[in-house]
Amino acid sequence: MSFASPLAFYFLLLTIPVIVLYILKVRLRREPVSTNMFWSQIYDEKPPRSIWRYLKHLLSLLLQLLFLLLLVAAIADPYFLWQLKQSRRVVLVVDNSASMQAMEKDGNSRFDLAIEKGLDLVEGLRERDEMAIIVAEARPRVAIGMSGHAPTLRRTLQALQVSDQPTTVTPAVDLGRQLIGEHPHGEVVVLTDGCLPGSTFETVETPPTKSPGSEAPETNDSETTPDRETTLRNRYLVVGSPQSNVGITQLQLRRSLVDPTGYEVLVKVLNASDRPVDCRLELELNGSPVDVLPLELEPNEEWTRSLEKTSVEGGELTAMLTQIKASDVEEESTSVSTDDARTPKTLNGLKIDDRAWAILPPKKIQKVLIVTSGNLFLQKVFEANPLVDVTLMNHFPDPWPRDSLIVLHGEVPETLPEGDLFVIDPATDCDLWSIGPVLENPIVTELNAESRLMTHVRLDNVLVPKAEKIDFHTEATPLASTISGDLIYARLTNGAGRLLVLNVDLEESDLAFRTTFPIMVTNALGWYAGQTGDLNLALRTGEITNVSFERDQLKGNELKLFGPDGSIQEIPLLDAKQENSDSNRPIAEEGSSPSAGNDRESNSVTLGPFARAGVWKLEVDPQNPLAEYAVNLSNAEESDLRPAEELGSQEPLQSLAGFFTRPLWFYLALAASLLFLIEWFLYQRRIIA
Amino acid sequence: MLFPPDFLTRLEYLSIISKRVFRGSLLAQRRTMQRGSGIEFSDHREYSPGDDFRYLDWNIFARHGDLLLKRFQEEQDLHVTLLLDCSKSMAYRNAEKFDLARHLVAALSYIALADLDRVSILAFADGVTREFPLTRGKARILAIMKFLEELDVQGTDTELSKAIQGVLHRSRKSGMAIVVSDLFDRNGFQSALDQLRYRHFDLHILQLHHPLEADPDLLGDVELEDIEIGQQRKVTITEKALRNYKKLFNEHQEAVRQYCFNHGYGCTQSPSTVPFDELILTMMRAVGAGK
Repeated sequence: MSFASPLAFYFLLLTIPVIVLYILKVRLRREPVSTNMFWSQIYDEKPPRSIWRYLKHLLSLLLQLLFLLLLVAAIADPYFLWQLKQSRRVVLVVDNSASMQAMEKDGNSRFDLAIEKGLDLVEGLRERDEMAIIVAEARPRVAIGMSGHAPTLRRTLQALQVSDQPTTVTPAVDLGRQLIGEHPHGEVVVLTDGCLPGSTFETVETPPTKSPGSEAPETNDSETTPDRETTLRNRYLVVGSPQSNVGITQLQLRRSLVDPTGYEVLVKVLNASDRPVDCRLELELNGSPVDVLPLELEPNEEWTRSLEKTSVEGGELTAMLTQIKASDVEEESTSVSTDDARTPKTLNGLKIDDRAWAILPPKKIQKVLIVTSGNLFLQKVFEANPLVDVTLMNHFPDPWPRDSLIVLHGEVPETLPEGDLFVIDPATDCDLWSIGPVLENPIVTELNAESRLMTHVRLDNVLVPKAEKIDFHTEATPLASTISGDLIYARLTNGAGRLLVLNVDLEESDLAFRTTFPIMVTNALGWYAGQTGDLNLALRTGEITNVSFERDQLKGNELKLFGPDGSIQEIPLLDAKQENSDSNRPIAEEGSSPSAGNDRESNSVTLGPFARAGVWKLEVDPQNPLAEYAVNLSNAEESDLRPAEELGSQEPLQSLAGFFTRPLWFYLALAASLLFLIEWFLYQRRIIA
Repeated sequence: MLFPPDFLTRLEYLSIISKRVFRGSLLAQRRTMQRGSGIEFSDHREYSPGDDFRYLDWNIFARHGDLLLKRFQEEQDLHVTLLLDCSKSMAYRNAEKFDLARHLVAALSYIALADLDRVSILAFADGVTREFPLTRGKARILAIMKFLEELDVQGTDTELSKAIQGVLHRSRKSGMAIVVSDLFDRNGFQSALDQLRYRHFDLHILQLHHPLEADPDLLGDVELEDIEIGQQRKVTITEKALRNYKKLFNEHQEAVRQYCFNHGYGCTQSPSTVPFDELILTMMRAVGAGK
């Protein structure tokens, strides 16, 4: 036996004052009585100098010394060597993914059951055993490192919360193995509902990784641990029962590429059950119904549909699953009773995937000033766009409007105005180019397909009888050019503004009659407006994202991220020096709320991982949200509440501890307390004094 | 001050009460049991040669021819002897017992003197320590009070037999004896009292005790010191020992009661917390009930 705190034995010096006080106590207080004759009769029957008389006093002293000895021994914290040899390191991986929110028939969620089971395991820890708790979130998080303090482990377990994120068990298990290290009795215990990707399981016992040159903890051959015990075991403890579920596994939006006011919705609904299910998919934009689709889903069917809708204002699109019922049951019911334990009890076990969100950015009305001597095609191609406010002029305005896109057709001023410009068929020189000789029958052979300005634009069969060669004084990015390298369509920089030059005579060419012309103009308008066809993609829980912003959009030094659950996270903006000095800071911080990293130089912020499904808002001030993010579960594995078959036959974990679960000092302190009670009782009864 | 200013007033009140309610039952106007030359007829007995012819009942002889001699009850003054325990045990815990005992002796003396009886007081401990000789007349109560006031506990033991021997030596005439004591006599009280019984004394015992003597508040290791003999004893008083003590104490009290009951003596036992006049009344009631 060894002692963790042998210095505590110095407390045994307290025996000296105990004995001294005991001797002093023997000097009795004197009590006068009227007569001794009654007392004499009592004590003469039992002679006062009997052995018991001495023993009574001695017993009192012995009890006190024994009490002190037990107390000192408890403080010294004794332990047996076998406790050290057989101590275990257990890593508890807690699956707090979205599927753990599913409610069981006893009214508890799967997560509650997992925590309950985890508490049982903590109770079963023996003295010198250690346990760590890892949360299998989007990024594994160590809730508590190796500790043998059961109350702390219990508190940590009870403080865990279920999230809306998908399961990432494999990296959590890997992290657990790293925590166990080379300990001979390590074990990773995964508390999960078994709704994991099939490739995640690894229940085979595997030896721990040994670094070169490392030695086993025991050098004594006779005490070498058997090989069987040096393996690192993974065990999956499955909580909950299989359940049916219908959920939205995908919801995405994008603006239509051809319709300026239109948008497309991609939605997927999964019937993760063995029964056919009828339900309704309701779409709402800002609370107003957009569409209601009745769905008839076959068992295990994933229904996918792309819907086209129109909206200028944009907003928050919500998809909801309602009226879920079994197709083979006439009356509407979401609960079906069955006697088979493996048969799902409910048709919709998870609520979090019954609703999904997406953000549709609003379309802005663009002001366009067309300065032309007159071209009806040019005028109509802009007026055909409902998001454009066209003003027509036949001379140069003074001053030039700063909030409009200026379209110059033919004549251009010697000095181009600041701002966004779209020059079509320039006829005169200016500060950025000079007009050269005429190009006869130029054939467009090169198109910049990577530029979004050229999306769906084809110019190869457009008839262009003539064009004028333009010599640009600044660097121009070719969008369309001839085989000789002459630019037909180019992009330039005009100070702080943007400039497009289309070198095609609309009067001579048939471009104005081609469908590619309005596409080209729509692309150009979108490019000037800073809008893309990808729009704001809905994120999955657990993902991270970047947001870019203009420097003048930040009025303060702090961004606030408002979660759907009402949480507010402040994101400080670091200057460049701080950013560089803190370059190793992890993007994902501990906790359920997403963390952020930001790059002030590039005006971008990294957000995530997002723990909750819903709409997150990034704001500088409440009146003007900087960005909105729709976050959905969108995970077929999480929506499928039927545990993997290979986990169903896992044997439950054996009780970690036997009878002797508490440290020795606890029993010593208990014995000391009992002794104290006995001594107190005996003293009160005057059996001893 | 042992006797408060109103003490005499309370004594007078007690004296009146005793005459009105218990007339002839306690002390005053009691007749001795001796037969002699009194004038009050007692009974007859047969004539035997040598008897005084003057006491022959001639009327009976004339009617029946029997010679019967008339007997008369002799009237004598009642001698009341008060034995006051002055041992140190009476001074236990502020001498409550001793003060009450002296009050009682003063009260009984006053009642006796008021009824023209003769009163003597013997203070005793390990023998007779002081004596107030036989006296009569109510006016002597002040002297008695002064005598009692001057008394103090003394001696090294309680020896009731020596005190009673003192009584018997001082007076060959029987009377009434009242013992005021705690009767903590390690030699026993019976043999001492038997001596009075043999001399046909009419006896009454007033046994006093302190409440803590009946129910001590002692527990644990203590050194008991007998305040009479100075003996010390180290003991561990347990709950069990305490129960045994109470049992022995009650047995002692019961023994006193039983002794008095067996021999027709009056017995009054009381804790020292009871006022003396209340105790006197209790005592009178007890005696009256006995009659």
